[in-house]
Amino acid sequence: MRQLRVIFAIARADFLERARRYSFFLTLLFAVILGYSAATGKITIRLGDYRGVYTSAWIGIMVAMVTTCFVSLVGFYVVKNAVDCDRQTGVGQILATTPLSKSSYLVGKFFSNFAVLASMVFILALSAIVMWFFAAEDPRFDLWALVSPFLLVALPAIALTASLALLFESLPVLRGGVGNVIWVFAWSLGIGLPELTGLPWLDASGLMTVSEQMMAAARTTIPGYTHGFSLGINLEPVTVAQTLRYQGIQWSKEEVFVRLIWFCVAFVLALLAALFFDRFDPACSLVPLLRRRKPQDQSPEAGDVLTLAASVTTARPPAAVHLTLLAGAAHTGAFGRLFAAELRLAVKGLRWWWYVVAAGLVAAQFFAPLELSRGPLLGVAWIWPILIWSAMGARESRFGTNELLFSSAWILRRQLPACWFAGVAVALLTGIGAAIRLFLAGQNASLMAWLAGALFLPSFALALGIWSGSSKPYEGLLTALWYIGPMNRTPGLDFTGAANGPITLRYSVIYLALSAALLTLAFFGRARQLRSD
Amino acid sequence: MRLVVDNLSKEYRGKVQALRRVKLTLEAGVLGLLGPNGAGKSTLMRILATITQPSSGRVLWNETEIARDPDVLRAVLGYLPQDFGVYPNLNALEFLEYLAAVRGIAAAAARKRIGELLELVNLTDAAKRPLGGYSGGMRQRVGIAQALLNDPQLLIVDEPTAGLDPEERMRFRNLLSELSGERVVILSTHIVSDVEAVATEIAILSHGQLLAHDSPESLLASVSGRVWEVVVPSADLGALRLKHLVSSTAHRTDGVHARVLADAAPDRTARSLEPSLEDAYLAALSRQRHSTNGLAT
Repeated sequence: MRQLRVIFAIARADFLERARRYSFFLTLLFAVILGYSAATGKITIRLGDYRGVYTSAWIGIMVAMVTTCFVSLVGFYVVKNAVDCDRQTGVGQILATTPLSKSSYLVGKFFSNFAVLASMVFILALSAIVMWFFAAEDPRFDLWALVSPFLLVALPAIALTASLALLFESLPVLRGGVGNVIWVFAWSLGIGLPELTGLPWLDASGLMTVSEQMMAAARTTIPGYTHGFSLGINLEPVTVAQTLRYQGIQWSKEEVFVRLIWFCVAFVLALLAALFFDRFDPACSLVPLLRRRKPQDQSPEAGDVLTLAASVTTARPPAAVHLTLLAGAAHTGAFGRLFAAELRLAVKGLRWWWYVVAAGLVAAQFFAPLELSRGPLLGVAWIWPILIWSAMGARESRFGTNELLFSSAWILRRQLPACWFAGVAVALLTGIGAAIRLFLAGQNASLMAWLAGALFLPSFALALGIWSGSSKPYEGLLTALWYIGPMNRTPGLDFTGAANGPITLRYSVIYLALSAALLTLAFFGRARQLRSD
Repeated sequence: MRLVVDNLSKEYRGKVQALRRVKLTLEAGVLGLLGPNGAGKSTLMRILATITQPSSGRVLWNETEIARDPDVLRAVLGYLPQDFGVYPNLNALEFLEYLAAVRGIAAAAARKRIGELLELVNLTDAAKRPLGGYSGGMRQRVGIAQALLNDPQLLIVDEPTAGLDPEERMRFRNLLSELSGERVVILSTHIVSDVEAVATEIAILSHGQLLAHDSPESLLASVSGRVWEVVVPSADLGALRLKHLVSSTAHRTDGVHARVLADAAPDRTARSLEPSLEDAYLAALSRQRHSTNGLAT
């Protein structure tokens, strides 16, 4: 009983803390936008070229599947800070000194994560009901058919996201940006795996269960329909199959049981996270053991000096220290030096193998066939520095150096451009192999696309970093964009320009304009930070 | 050089009034800014450091209004915030080099200055260790070094001795005294002894209001003849506290020796004492409390 009270207290405090943040309302707003997109047909379920009549069940399933897919993917980034928040605020240090067990702590955090995501699901379920009133094409209102997909499909899936976010936070390797990038792949794998393996019990998202039932219903009601199920942004016209008046998923006991099992899996994963959780012990962090170096002999030079004699006795008595007065001319540091300092800051902490892989990718771009070089190889080369770019603009908030930096002069004129140029330099260097190939091949339009991509990546990072104060949005969004664009060769979304075919130049201009807009946004964001109210 | 704070007010969201029409004029020297927690000291520091915008009023640096042209002040400003972070993967040397570049200090001058500053804050030996492994006191010393990087004309230090050991604290006080000759130094703290050691002027802030702004001598004079030592049995201490402002107590064999602030001797055995800055500070706070209570009743 006491344990339950402790778990409840942790979950409640964490939920309240997050629910009172501005970002929580933005998250709910995002949920409302999603609901609106589904309600206005921008996001829809298609069965080949058809969709069913908007019955209670169809609307419920459609919005629930949108909810499941988007909230389980994006929601991860929303809740993957439950432990980190306690680490940053120091509350974790206090909790660590109490008899609180690791498992109780993490189970409490799991319930809080779940509550945050469930509130998004709740908003979307409400939007489905509202949608029925405005968009239903069948007059019968069936509450269970409308709501059951939220209860049995969406909630188990987001429970899994809630626990995986905790597991990622507990594993030192996945705690930071690497985990944010890996999540997109893990999520994609989780969605596709049941279909690939034909194993319905791996269907955590419920997508396979839903799609098979809907396709079966379509086969019996739509003449000529054989297969085809998609859920996504509706770009092409769709035919309404008047004969398909879908009445909802026929939940067998086994299917309900399998869906409920996912709650248990999520709970077990939250407990599993306790095995890796360091209980806020900084000694368990990945920071390498610090090396002690020999003291350096730095005797002050003669000149125009102010002598400061320390008058106290110390174990190693401090010598009189001379502080050289800076003349006016000393305040003329070149921009190049600031650029170098920003670049050094950006790459500081990278291990040798990072450079080896980056160099290998550049060499591969140079020697591989041109299409391979400017396509997949450039794509991989430009996702490799994602953690360098994602820190841009957000570094000051993340490490609390805002006040030190923002009380310096010419931040907008010097530091911000230097930071951006450092990001551009990383893009240019990691993609230089493809650029040389394009230049040698005389493909000027593609070279232009390459340049537009190189400018877009750091501009996008800087704007998102400044406005969000976090590196997570960029890590999540860029990975998703990279997967859809360069990896799946989607025209327009491929920022390397390889998939854009004959309209490469037009897309290059769009990306250049987008980069300029993002830079402007970054500029105003930083200006706003400098003059905070 | 001249810093003018003209009728400065700051109201946060939720109608929290952090500063109320504060007026100050500062020239070269050390201003010790005293006040209890939540007095508005850090808000004032942040406004002076161009981080926060005031709700009303102006701050002028050499006749330039800093809200309109903050870079004029930022170019000559050294600022040590109460809370600040560092980049954990950089070492102290690299961190200071980075900030020197941000502040536009030429490479050669920066290198020399950083070496001297690291020596000054006693971090030369640890200069090449990642900042992520520094203790709170060492990090604070890095903060002090960065505030002095650009040889500032206006140096603002907010609770600078927090986390420093007594030796480093004394070293820092001496440093402030030495630096104050040719620049304006504002030292915000609630530790009266820090201010006592170095301040040429003292300002007392409470509930966002400036209660006093004077030289230490004048503040001491304001409580001269009002500080007493009274010896009472332990059991009577509560009654004494109810009647008078007791600034400190010490238990002895003959009873409790209480340091009391009162216009007249609390009793016939009371012995007059030399006033301290802490007495002046407590008296100012007490006066404000009484006037607020008087208004309330």
